[in-house]
Amino acid sequence: MLVWTRTGKAVVWIAFALVFGLLVLLPFLVVIAAAFAGSWNGVLPSDPTGDHLRQALSGDELASLSVSLQTAFMGGLLAVVIGTWGAMAAYGSRFARVADAMHHLPIAVPSVVVGLGLLVAFSRQPVLLNGTKWIVVIAHLVLMVAFSYGTVAAALQRVDPSYADVAASLGASPARVLWRVRLPMLLPAISSAAGLSVALSMGEVGATIMVYPASWRTLPVSIFALTDRGQTFVAAAEAVVLLATTVVLVVILDRLRGRAVER
Amino acid sequence: MTVQLEDVTVHFGNKHSGRTCALEGFDLSVAAGETVALLGPSGSGKSTALKAVAGFVRPTRGRIRLGGNDVTDLPPARRGIGVVVQQYALFPHLRVADNVAFGLRAARKPKAEVSRRVGEMLEMVGMTAYGRRFPRELSGGQQQRVAIARALAIQPSVLLLDEPLAALDAQLRADMLGELQKLRREVPDIAIVYVTHDQSEALALADRIAVMRDARLVDIAPAAELYAAPPSAFTASFLGGANLLPVSVDEGAVKVAGAVVPGLKPEDGKSLLCIRPHAIRLEPPEPANAVEDVARLVGRVVAAQWRGASSQVTCLVDGLADVVVRVDVPADRRVPELGAAVVMVLPVEACSLVPAEVG
Repeated sequence: MLVWTRTGKAVVWIAFALVFGLLVLLPFLVVIAAAFAGSWNGVLPSDPTGDHLRQALSGDELASLSVSLQTAFMGGLLAVVIGTWGAMAAYGSRFARVADAMHHLPIAVPSVVVGLGLLVAFSRQPVLLNGTKWIVVIAHLVLMVAFSYGTVAAALQRVDPSYADVAASLGASPARVLWRVRLPMLLPAISSAAGLSVALSMGEVGATIMVYPASWRTLPVSIFALTDRGQTFVAAAEAVVLLATTVVLVVILDRLRGRAVER
Repeated sequence: MTVQLEDVTVHFGNKHSGRTCALEGFDLSVAAGETVALLGPSGSGKSTALKAVAGFVRPTRGRIRLGGNDVTDLPPARRGIGVVVQQYALFPHLRVADNVAFGLRAARKPKAEVSRRVGEMLEMVGMTAYGRRFPRELSGGQQQRVAIARALAIQPSVLLLDEPLAALDAQLRADMLGELQKLRREVPDIAIVYVTHDQSEALALADRIAVMRDARLVDIAPAAELYAAPPSAFTASFLGGANLLPVSVDEGAVKVAGAVVPGLKPEDGKSLLCIRPHAIRLEPPEPANAVEDVARLVGRVVAAQWRGASSQVTCLVDGLADVVVRVDVPADRRVPELGAAVVMVLPVEACSLVPAEVG
């Protein structure tokens, strides 16, 4: 602790609370307030109503939630599989640095560029994916692989290679070493990569907005479209739905992770 | 079954990052029922030799045989060697009993046999009550016992131990040393290779000791022989911290700092006198009256460390610059004061000659 006096500490805490409250907490509160506001003309919202939330959970908007969840699970979880595979394959190989760079390319490049690239690449034969949901899933997959790869590669650095050596010396085949020792020991990292991927995928806009077809509109894209049309309160209600869903998902995945660590 | 290493050489790294030689032309043979300790400072290649036997590293040259069969190109899984690594590497996600059963299940043994064998192994290491625990719920000593049980469960003919006591504190280390001696009697037919940097472990456990340095084997001999008559200066000082004093030969007599060592025959190429710290006696600087087979060196005390059961006194010898002599003084003898002039009495039966270091 750098500050020793009691008043000093109090000042630091109050300053921190002000900055944090103003920049982080307040926008959240405003969104939640707007979601339940009938009108907002003065300083505070008025005419509380549940209509926006009802609207956000019906018809097209509910479909958006379902699309977002499907995309997050397909793209995010596939990204975990590929990221884990990539990290384990690259570990200790002389191509590790190249693999590192390749996997981090999608997060180094702006996501709009990733989206544009996919759009240009897959808009004509032989691989025509434009207009299907798969181009959205692939966009999410490409972006989330980088995070999965990074998380698992970092965990691999901390696992002593002698575990695999000892397992092999006990007569285990390479496949058995992989499934009974290496993967179980990476399980905490893999499930935390899954949580991260799903959460990031739920909120992805940049690449999605470049590639999404009308039939496959994710929740963040809906929020963007509604705001664009001036329907701010409904957009706020959808944002609350997105927030709640993401929190629930992350908590569930975190629980699974906790169990993995305990085992 | 014997373990044989012939001219085993291991290089690490590749052409781009530069190659380091971790083991150079290493020969070793360990018979069934024998314990051989690989003793050396860190970086001496002792762990690399063990990894080569286990199959964890591939030699760039040389052959490794188990019971006469060449296993150099076999993966570790097909060698049937029990290995205990330094930090034990117990699988953290498996319970103690499942850790011990790992090798048996990999060999697809019937369930009944697996549980019987796991029971036997846990009983042998006194861990029967801990089968349901996870490794992190065990102390260091307990983890080590489980690691040994796991390695022996597959009934290996060779057991490799890599610094098994290094992770334990001093008291526990002494206890586990006793347990390892007991274990040796439980598995009388297994060849054991024991890697350590601690000379007291090597002396307590090994039938023969292989002293290593800079990726090479320096000396190998039965433990008592190596201690009593070290063949090289490095072994003399690494094993037992011997004093090494330069000698000169004058008219067929061996002399240290001008003092004759009676009864010691000069040998070609051996120009250092080796004597253990506990063999030297310190006396006040008075003229000797009794006729003994001793060499008497005059010098003074420069440092003294109290170590409980004894004190280690460091002396300089008059006429020998840069050579310190360490003397163990038992607790019941008076420790001379710093700077005091003393006579170091070297009994001839404790003296031997070793060749000087080359280079």
